[in-house]
Amino acid sequence: MLKFIIRRFLVMIPQLALLSILIFLLAKAMPGDALTGSMQANPNLDPKVFEELREKLGLNDPWYEQYGRWIGNLFQGELGMSYIHKVDIADLLGDRMANTFWLGLVTLIFTYLIAVPLGVVAGRWNESWADKLIVGYNYVSFAIPLFVFALIMLFIFGFGLHWFPIGGSVDVTVEKGTFAYFLSRIHHLLLPAITAALLSTVGTIQYLRNEIIDTKLKDFVKTARAKGTPEKKVYSRHIFRNSLLPVAAFLGYDIVFIIGGSVFIEQIFSYPGLGQLFISSINQRDFSVVNILVMLFGFLSILGTLISDIILSIVDPRIRID
Amino acid sequence: MSTPIVEKNNISLQQQKTPSGFSVIVREFAKDKLALFSLVLFLGIVLYVYIYSFMLDQEAITRVDLFNIFAEPSSVYWLGTDYGGRDVFGQLIIGARNSLTIGIVITVLTAIIGLVLGLLAGYFGGWVDNVIMRTVDFILVLPTTMIIIVFVVIVPEFNVANFIFIMSIFYWTGKARLIRSKTLAERELDYVSASKTLGTPNWKIMLFQVLPNLSSIIIVNMTLNLAGNIGIETGLTYLGFGLPESTPSLGTLISYSSNPDVMENKWWVWLPAALLILVMMLCINFIGQALKRAADARQRLG
Amino acid sequence: MKKGKWKFLSLLIVLGLLLSACSSGTSGKKSEGQEGQGSEPELVDPSSFPKTVVNEETEIDGGSLTYALVSDTAFEGILDYAFYESSPDAEVISFFAEPIFAYDANYQITNDGESAAKFEMSEDGKTMTVTIQDGVTWHDGEPLKAEDYAFSFEIIGHPDYTGVRYGDALISGIVGMEDYHNGKADTISGIKILNDKQLTITWEEANPSLLSGIWSYAEPKHHFEGIEIGDLASSDKIHTDLLGFGPFKVTNIVPGESVEYEAYENYYGGAPKLDSVVLKVVSPTTIGEAIKKGDVDIASFPTDQYDKDYVPTNFQYLADMDAAYTYIGFKLGHWDAEAGVAVQDKDTPLQDVKLRQAIGYAMDNKSVAERFYQGLRVPATTLMIPFFADFHNPDIEGYSYNTEKANQLLDEAGYKDVDGDGYREDLEGNEMVFNFASMSGGETAEPLANFYIQNWKDVGIHVQLLEGRLHEMNSFYDRVEGDDEAVDIYQGAWGTGTDPDPYGLWSKLAPYNYPRFVNDKNEELLAAGHSEDAFDQEFRKDIYDQWQQLMVDEAPVIPTLYRYYLMAVNNRVKNYSIEAGSELGWEDVAVTAEKAFVEE
Repeated sequence: MLKFIIRRFLVMIPQLALLSILIFLLAKAMPGDALTGSMQANPNLDPKVFEELREKLGLNDPWYEQYGRWIGNLFQGELGMSYIHKVDIADLLGDRMANTFWLGLVTLIFTYLIAVPLGVVAGRWNESWADKLIVGYNYVSFAIPLFVFALIMLFIFGFGLHWFPIGGSVDVTVEKGTFAYFLSRIHHLLLPAITAALLSTVGTIQYLRNEIIDTKLKDFVKTARAKGTPEKKVYSRHIFRNSLLPVAAFLGYDIVFIIGGSVFIEQIFSYPGLGQLFISSINQRDFSVVNILVMLFGFLSILGTLISDIILSIVDPRIRID
Repeated sequence: MSTPIVEKNNISLQQQKTPSGFSVIVREFAKDKLALFSLVLFLGIVLYVYIYSFMLDQEAITRVDLFNIFAEPSSVYWLGTDYGGRDVFGQLIIGARNSLTIGIVITVLTAIIGLVLGLLAGYFGGWVDNVIMRTVDFILVLPTTMIIIVFVVIVPEFNVANFIFIMSIFYWTGKARLIRSKTLAERELDYVSASKTLGTPNWKIMLFQVLPNLSSIIIVNMTLNLAGNIGIETGLTYLGFGLPESTPSLGTLISYSSNPDVMENKWWVWLPAALLILVMMLCINFIGQALKRAADARQRLG
Repeated sequence: MKKGKWKFLSLLIVLGLLLSACSSGTSGKKSEGQEGQGSEPELVDPSSFPKTVVNEETEIDGGSLTYALVSDTAFEGILDYAFYESSPDAEVISFFAEPIFAYDANYQITNDGESAAKFEMSEDGKTMTVTIQDGVTWHDGEPLKAEDYAFSFEIIGHPDYTGVRYGDALISGIVGMEDYHNGKADTISGIKILNDKQLTITWEEANPSLLSGIWSYAEPKHHFEGIEIGDLASSDKIHTDLLGFGPFKVTNIVPGESVEYEAYENYYGGAPKLDSVVLKVVSPTTIGEAIKKGDVDIASFPTDQYDKDYVPTNFQYLADMDAAYTYIGFKLGHWDAEAGVAVQDKDTPLQDVKLRQAIGYAMDNKSVAERFYQGLRVPATTLMIPFFADFHNPDIEGYSYNTEKANQLLDEAGYKDVDGDGYREDLEGNEMVFNFASMSGGETAEPLANFYIQNWKDVGIHVQLLEGRLHEMNSFYDRVEGDDEAVDIYQGAWGTGTDPDPYGLWSKLAPYNYPRFVNDKNEELLAAGHSEDAFDQEFRKDIYDQWQQLMVDEAPVIPTLYRYYLMAVNNRVKNYSIEAGSELGWEDVAVTAEKAFVEE
């Protein structure tokens, strides 16, 4: 077991190294640099000024030198400066990371709150009308484009009913640290979280349903039934336990999935998290930030799959042979 | 969006036997009227879109007409016009064709790559398996959405071919993993070792003995991926990293709804495209489910 | 004008105009329910909109107001005049910091009206004496001093300065500035502090743009004490721990999304009427709803969402002309970076002025303005925008839509359709196809580009989109600026700022002269336009009249559209004005009801 975990950790290192080189090269290959935008907006200024600035910022050095400098600094915990925001990237990420983290967490909670009961119901009474309804919902949530659904939610609950704020992460007039502040934050992330959760349930529901239907027909269940165990107990004792455990293993994959979706959700709900920062940074050619963000997301993905693999290897030892 | 599903199916399918055969599928569809209806409807849409789009004059449809901006649906413009005065119905047909082509080609491409590499890895094992699977692991952990966006920004000429290429780089891995694990299981079975002792060359065993046994799983996986691949194109277009407007796609039409005025008052621009996607995705999913049941003896209806 | 929302425009440039053109929603498209085919659209006359909010109610005591910063990204948070680079940041700054001078309707500094400082010019026009007024204090109570103003020049000129303000002629042209910038001197010899409240600034040469282009912001020197100038950009002091002397002070800031301001009771122009202002970022997608629901009181309204058939019940529109224009440019040469000069040497049929003129006449900008923009943009005539009312010549017609004339010009010049494919061939009878580069972003971008291509096709000129698509801003400017051979025609836009001098855009020595147009008469007129003689308004007007005509005749670029911008203001707001030179500033803005009105 321990050996497996250590091996999985060791695999992470070359993955991260490769990822960092890939990202850095991609960022360098993008047209324009961090100064292109301000040049266009400042026609009265001498372009020589920008040449000087490029030199000052080291944008003219060969890529491997820039990469070496970047990776060296990373190891010292220095993420570098944002060209656009002119602040340390660590500072820039701070608040937004927290925003994305909370949004992700709440989304995850909602996802399971919705998916587990539905999956169980659909599996236990499969081919019933409830099952058909749930499967129908599953199809629709899989088929509907995320942003169309998000926009509709925003229009109905944000504008129409006025239940939720239409953007931001917190009300600026509330004092930090108070209970009202906490409530305001929750209030701001509820709508995006529910929206994302409603569309993230597909995998879990489908899996649970299949698994329960499968387990129903397994020998040990049949034996239990034959022994006269009450139906309720058959489910709670034998079937659910066997089917729910693997669901926990998907936690990691779900994290990866929700991270990917944050790019869309945050953009639509004007929620200032990492996903929104990514889109604006790429549009403004703020490479240093783009690099760090993709690194960070890559790292989280690796971590997510790691968690899943470890849980899986506990639940289902066959995987460990991998 | 399809990734988690693939992952999870992967595991649930792992211990299944794979009896296949055309007759089983036919029987399954005959039992499941919804799947049959979906199949007919989907094929109908595909045929209509492909045939009709060839009769349409794309240049005429994308011609900007300042005097017909946001015309409501009428006998001339069945689905009205967009903000450039262009016929929405024509764009819907051409867009559906483009989106379908993209979805299908990506699915087929990734299936081929995944199949070849998965077969090789699973059949031979050893260092071949190692190299392939480490690559797969690496691509799987990449933050795909973000890297694709970065790619899109870099590519100088962004068209359907490039789009398909970029997407295919990232979306073959799930399949490779699935095929590999199935092949691993098949390899251990008696018929393979029997063939081996008889001296049948490896490629023949792979192609004519192992592959047919995997076909049903491949088909199930492909249908589900097809739905996902169509969806991705739409999402990227919304964020502004999709295909250029000169190449109409369903994503382009739907993304017009990001203007609240269009969303609320000009429904004819985006709603038909959204519904078309929804209908097609549902069809594909129902078909996929039926195929899956056909592949899995225990769930069969008939 | 005293202080207020306009002052960030008095900076050298309208920042972000081009940036905003690439963010979705800001550069617009028309959204209109068209009735019959080909019917005359009912046009909006943007000049009929008020520039000052109309509200006869009595104001309530205090109150709070919500200001929407309309942007689809978070604001960057570089909240200092010497360092900020984007217009959202400038909007955030404008509440708590302001220029030391007042501006008049022509965007020139003036001694009339209330301001933190008064000025006096010497006879030779080279030296300015600035006197800080009594009673002007920073929000921490420290008085505003002459050294604070001098300090802002010391920041911008400093060798370690990382912002983009250095290089403007009115900054680098100060006596001794070059030496200071190169590290040869520790002080700027041309800036002399006479006492706590007075200083003089001397320039190498007199410049008629001085009054509109002078750098007019002070920096709180005591606030920045102990921070190296190289580190200033990343310091807290310009991101979160902010200090200004404007009517409002910052009390709370959620980086990137919202700011809370509170009235500064000791403001030299009198205590503000509002108790507080909340500024929050609202995406262009949702701003229309936010305004209708009373979620925000004041917002710049995306012109592409304007619907002339909608009669607002709870808010009103204000509109004014933007300091910007869109144009079609012809790539005629390349930039010689060594010599720092444009060379007009490209081998292209577009060197033929008649061809360029024909292309100009073929474009139906009137329809574009009316149909795409519901009249919120108007066909452009000359390169001197009407925003500069003193210099724009309304008698020059420019290129109005006239296919007959375009065809006639082409026929005369000898461009004939030899092979009968509907497109004219060049003078040797070879096929003639031009690549058209245009920026993506803003929903109309694509149909607009295609509409022009159709226009040109109508007179037989074959133009195609470069690589069959629009280009994203960064790659667009990479190509146009880099004189990419493949680009023949491009569509660009300039924010002119408040200085009318076009030298920096169209001289052969200007790198921003993207067409690489070289013409002796042009150089002569441009030079005369900012010579010492040009202090004489009549003379300058005459020069610029000639220049406008010359640029129309030579047609290295064809201006296409002038634009208006819209503000939406809730009906409870009083004393809010976007008019240049208005006496009304943020301290005068009041509300007449506790809560914002909601759509009925």
